[in-house]
Amino acid sequence: MILPRSFPVFAITFACAFAVLYFAAAAYNLALFTYDAATSEFFFLVRRTGLDLPMYWYGWIVTSAIGASVAGVIASFIPDQWAQRLWSGWSWAIPMVVILAFCYLLRGYFIR
Amino acid sequence: MSTTFLLIVHGLLAVGLLGAVTHQAVSVWLPMHEPANSFVGRIRGVSAASYVNAIIILYVSTAILGGVFIYPEYRLSVRIVLEQMRLRVPVGIFDLKEHFVTVGLGILPAYWYFWRQPLADDHFRTRALLTATLAFIVWWSFLVGHILNNMRGFGL
Repeated sequence: MILPRSFPVFAITFACAFAVLYFAAAAYNLALFTYDAATSEFFFLVRRTGLDLPMYWYGWIVTSAIGASVAGVIASFIPDQWAQRLWSGWSWAIPMVVILAFCYLLRGYFIR
Repeated sequence: MSTTFLLIVHGLLAVGLLGAVTHQAVSVWLPMHEPANSFVGRIRGVSAASYVNAIIILYVSTAILGGVFIYPEYRLSVRIVLEQMRLRVPVGIFDLKEHFVTVGLGILPAYWYFWRQPLADDHFRTRALLTATLAFIVWWSFLVGHILNNMRGFGL
């Protein structure tokens, strides 16, 4: 399979942006849609009232996937000399920081 | 389809994923370059790159099965009961599981790219740490899923 030369930039940017946007979406409830698990209905954007069991997780994933895809495509247009200097380690470092941030965000479950 | 059947399939996929990512992580972090006769030596000596596609397919299929087909049932039938019983730690570790798995989905394109053949020498550390990140997520998810599935037995 022949990949575009910009694919590594896209992949690194996507990994970082997806993790950061997903954290922001979960922390600030930026769901693109709401799913009511009790009635299996979907609602556009965040809906808090009038639902039996609202689920935002799917909406957070779609929000961050769209945002990360856009960021990755934009980043893939950067000049080659900049792309070659992009550290590949961002692809694991930022997601690991986000994992730690989630531990902090949810600390209330573990600290009484 | 019954949730029990889906849970069993989800568990079987997770076992396959756990084995694949563990083999890859061990062979990357504790490589063995000479033929070995011992059990551990053979695990260390496997070809790490050969697991990449299996890990991606198993990760995505396990996440879809769990997240789309089982998770709503957990929210409807399990989480509400856990919250009513004030079992905050199990709810918290499961919330962490859902977030970790989602973050893991986002690194799969980079993981796939850096493990493409021929392997670039200058990305060895990136490959190793991407694998370690995925291995951590998979182990956490497997253990949390196991604990939640056996809540009464653990007495949490």
